Order: sequence, then structure tokens, then C-alpha cells
Amino acid sequence: MQAADSFIIDDYDQAIELFYERGWTDGLPVVLPTRRLVDEMLASCGRDRHESLGAIPPEGGKATIEKLAINAVMGGCRPEHFPVVLAAIQASLAPEHNLNGVLQTTHMCSPLVIVNGPISRELKFNSRDGVFGNGYRSNAAVGRAVRLAFWNLGRAFPWGTDKSTMSHPSEYAFCIAEEEEDNPWEPLHVERGCPPGSDAVTVFACEGPHSVFCYGTPDEMLYVLADSMCSLGSNNLHLGGGQILVILNPLNAEEFAKRGWSKEEVRRYLWEHARRRLSDIRACGVVVTQFHEQFPAGLRYDVQNSKTRVPVTSRPEDIHIVVAGGRSYFAAVLPGWGGPGGLAVTAQIKRPLT
Amino acid sequence: MEIMIPVWAQSTAVQVNNKQLTDLRNSRIALLDDNLDEPFTSHLEKLLSKIHGVIVERLVKPLGSAPSPKTLIEQAAKAEVAIVGIGL
Repeated sequence: MQAADSFIIDDYDQAIELFYERGWTDGLPVVLPTRRLVDEMLASCGRDRHESLGAIPPEGGKATIEKLAINAVMGGCRPEHFPVVLAAIQASLAPEHNLNGVLQTTHMCSPLVIVNGPISRELKFNSRDGVFGNGYRSNAAVGRAVRLAFWNLGRAFPWGTDKSTMSHPSEYAFCIAEEEEDNPWEPLHVERGCPPGSDAVTVFACEGPHSVFCYGTPDEMLYVLADSMCSLGSNNLHLGGGQILVILNPLNAEEFAKRGWSKEEVRRYLWEHARRRLSDIRACGVVVTQFHEQFPAGLRYDVQNSKTRVPVTSRPEDIHIVVAGGRSYFAAVLPGWGGPGGLAVTAQIKRPLT
Repeated sequence: MEIMIPVWAQSTAVQVNNKQLTDLRNSRIALLDDNLDEPFTSHLEKLLSKIHGVIVERLVKPLGSAPSPKTLIEQAAKAEVAIVGIGL
């Protein structure tokens, strides 16, 4: 090993402070990536430590298995979490996700990692009550490992090239799992082409969850969801196109299914009804109107008619529906970045051969 | 204890900058249009060309939020100065 890849220090407190001094942490203390912990993680995954998954923008630091293992240890991961981190990094580097833009935009989107498959239960990812919150190591550690890899290898920093004017706490960690057992529908990763029973992650750049009081009959739930999805100010409306995520809790999904609604029918209905008049959007001002007209791919309607109702996404399939959270009266909507990208990408998790 | 470093070493390559301009008039400036604010970019182009006598070469990025294609970067590098970003 080259000397520049590591250093020797004996004082724990000094080591923690050194990570701050050198700008190697996101603002929170880290688990010190000792050689022993990193080697343990590398040994468990069975991959060449020099293999690179690509370059993390904007600085283009190579996402080698070794550097990712170091950042995963720092984020609190155990070796069994590492394949999930690797899949999330792989997905986020797909061109349609446009990580370069996601990490530097003025918007407040951030890549959300959604875990699917048996690995979710095995590693105790939280998919139920408090799904976006704290208290679960797997959600927290995988989410933070991904962000630390972006931080240390991409190096888009606030007041530097990370131009997000508001941002939100997801820049520390943003990882959930879909509830697959208490769910009448096909899980997200299977819907997106992965075999049933496989493990996968989907990354999607979005805002934090917006609470939606969502309870009752399908008609009532759809009414409030559609209205929440197309609130003015959302990039999905103003920067035409992009994608949006709807989180239904298991009770919502059960109510839909009991009354014969498939996920596809819910999605279609929301696309047909989550719309705003063009005149409402134009009333927001010159800048957003101009942005809106810069993305003609999303404009599948008569732009000369101010009564035209603009859909929140260009296509129904750009509305992602995930079942998660507690059985209750709350759903959530997570608007995306809009036309510039941050689109959902799914990657299968490669478990090490045993 | 041995601690592993989570970042790559910074590049120490010395970058050679173009000679600084002493006069804008008749200089060749590449103006990178990030395709996000056409009126603002056009206004800047007009200021540079009409008032300061700059020969502006406007290069349009296909998508403002993604990196410029290599050919566009090479084209910009041929100018004396390149404006690579403008803020609202």
C-alpha cells in the first residue's frame, strides 16, 4: 500500500478532528476508517479494490471499490451493507440520473436511495413507521455512505460548486426501503424490470417528503394526492417534465387494492388529474414561464391556450409509486428536479458469492 | 492505528493560463450559453459586442445541467477568454 493512502495516528480524538480539518466529513463525526475495518469490508465483497464504478462529479474522483469501502465505513456501514452502497453508486452514475447536475443545481433535490428485495428485511432496513426518519442503522448508514462518497470523491461543497440555495437534511442521508410484505402490488424494482425475489436499489433525485393527509375512499385519496402533486412552485410544473415520487402507506395501498385499483390505474388517474392551468403557471412570473418553455419535450399540449391543463410529468410512467410508512392517514409526495434530470435508475444488488 | 484516506490526492499539475486581456475591443470571447436563461445571455452578448467591441462566439450547451461536450470545450479554448457561467 502506498503511504499516501493512509496515515498513522494513535489519538482517537485527534483523528476525529483531523477529518474535520481536512474537509473529509460532511459536518458530523465519522467512524474512523481503520485499515482493519476497510480490509474487512473489501474482503467481504469479493471485488478488486482497484475496480472503479466511474467518476463522481464534479471533480471526477474515481469511485474505486476501496475508496467506496472507506466512505462506507465512515458512514457506519457493516460489510453486509456494502453491496447496497455499491449498487446505489452504480445507479447514481447512470447518465439519465445526471449526478453532475443533481449535486450542483440550485434546486434542493437529492438522490433518494430506495431498497427493494429480501436484503431489505435481512439487514433490517426500515420500510414502515418513520420510514424517512432516524433510528435504523441500515437506512442511516447506507444513506450516509452514499453521501460521503459524493462528498469526498465528487467534492461539490456548499458555497463551492454545490449551488443548492436551500438544500435539506437529505444531504446527510436519504435512504428508505419499500414495504413489500404489507403491499398488494408489485414492488418498485420488479415493476422496473428486476426479477421477483431479487435485490435492488433505485435512486431518484427529489425533494424531501411533503406530507399529504390521505385517507378514505380511492376517490378521496386520489383527489388530495393529485392536488398535492401539482402545487405551484414545484420544478415538475415549472421546468416541464421530469419525474415525481408518491409514497402511499400500506393502508392506502390496501384500500385501493380492495376496491380493485391496480398501481397502474392509480398512476394513470394521477397523471390525468395532477395538472395546473397554463395560465396559473404563467402567473408565477417571467423566469419560470421561460424555463417551462425551454423543455419542449414535456409540452404535449396547446401552449397557445391558457386554459390548457399542464400535467405534472410528461408521461404517466414518470410518476413513481412506492408503498412505505406506517398504516395511517399520511401519504407523501416527493417532487423531482423537473426537466434537467435526476431521473430514477434501478440497479440490482450483487451479493458476494459464498 | 492506521487510518485510510477517503479522498484522492489533489492534482498538482500546473495549469498554464492565457495571457490576460488588456483591452476588450476586438478581443475574441467565447460565451457559453448554458441554455437556462436565453434573454440574460443575449443581453450579456449585446453588451460585450455593441458597447465593448468584443467578437463574441456564443456556444450553446445542449443541456444546462450536464457537462459541456468535449467539442464545445475545445472550441471555447480557442478564444482569448471564455465565459463559462453566468448567474441570475
